[in-house]
Amino acid sequence: MKLIRFRPTTPTFNQGTLLAELDRLFDAGFPAFNRGPTFGAFPVDIYQDGDAVNVCAELPGFRKEDLHVKVADDILTITGHLTTADAKDKDAPKTETTIERAIALPENLNYDKVAAAYENGVLTVTLPKRDEVKPKTVAIEVK
Amino acid sequence: MTQDPTTTPLAEKPAAAPQTRFTVTPRYRVEENADAYVITADVPGAAATDVETIVDGEKLVVNARRNWIAPEAWTLVHRETARADYRLVLELDRRVNRDAIKAQLTQGVLTLTLPKAGELKPRKIEIAG
Repeated sequence: MKLIRFRPTTPTFNQGTLLAELDRLFDAGFPAFNRGPTFGAFPVDIYQDGDAVNVCAELPGFRKEDLHVKVADDILTITGHLTTADAKDKDAPKTETTIERAIALPENLNYDKVAAAYENGVLTVTLPKRDEVKPKTVAIEVK
Repeated sequence: MTQDPTTTPLAEKPAAAPQTRFTVTPRYRVEENADAYVITADVPGAAATDVETIVDGEKLVVNARRNWIAPEAWTLVHRETARADYRLVLELDRRVNRDAIKAQLTQGVLTLTLPKAGELKPRKIEIAG
């Protein structure tokens, strides 16, 4: 049996203190990246079952074409682009913001069959495992 | 003198508190334009059927439930989201026309448009005579 370790990367901005983590429990999890001084990460949940690894990222308010999902070298990168126009000044240049998160993946995933769906502001990326690592039941005959 | 809780008959003990789902206040922002106030709230994970917007007297209440549950076969490896529903309560005053409030939900962002009350706009008053 091969043990698969997850090593999710920490958020890119400074949120490492325990107090900040506790504060996050009492606040909605999506830091307003273009609506306040904090910049960057969005919360991600990772699940797995026998066939696949599933990554759910909370990214409200994007269009599908502005979300990019990339897998390379056992790292999943989720990028979101947002262009906001100033509500009051129509001639002002639009602000472009990018948020990105890189997540370390276990080895032995089948990168050809990765699928992503975006619904209700949650991006779900499904990464199937390669057949040889799926749990297999072997029946052993007792002689 | 209070009753000893260990000897109080069960019928007299207060009923257990009803189960409540934990709620958080969603991230929201309020903007103003010439005709209305626009509130955008981030409620990822809530479908349109799970969001209700109520005007209750002086208050505007938004309840959004996150009804998605992971399939049984999935095991959780790493969690960062709060497994909580959203609840936003805002106080309205006479500046808002409460009958014309509109709500729209797109990809987890709820946009509420609160039109400004008509009597606040400048009106010219004709002089009779």
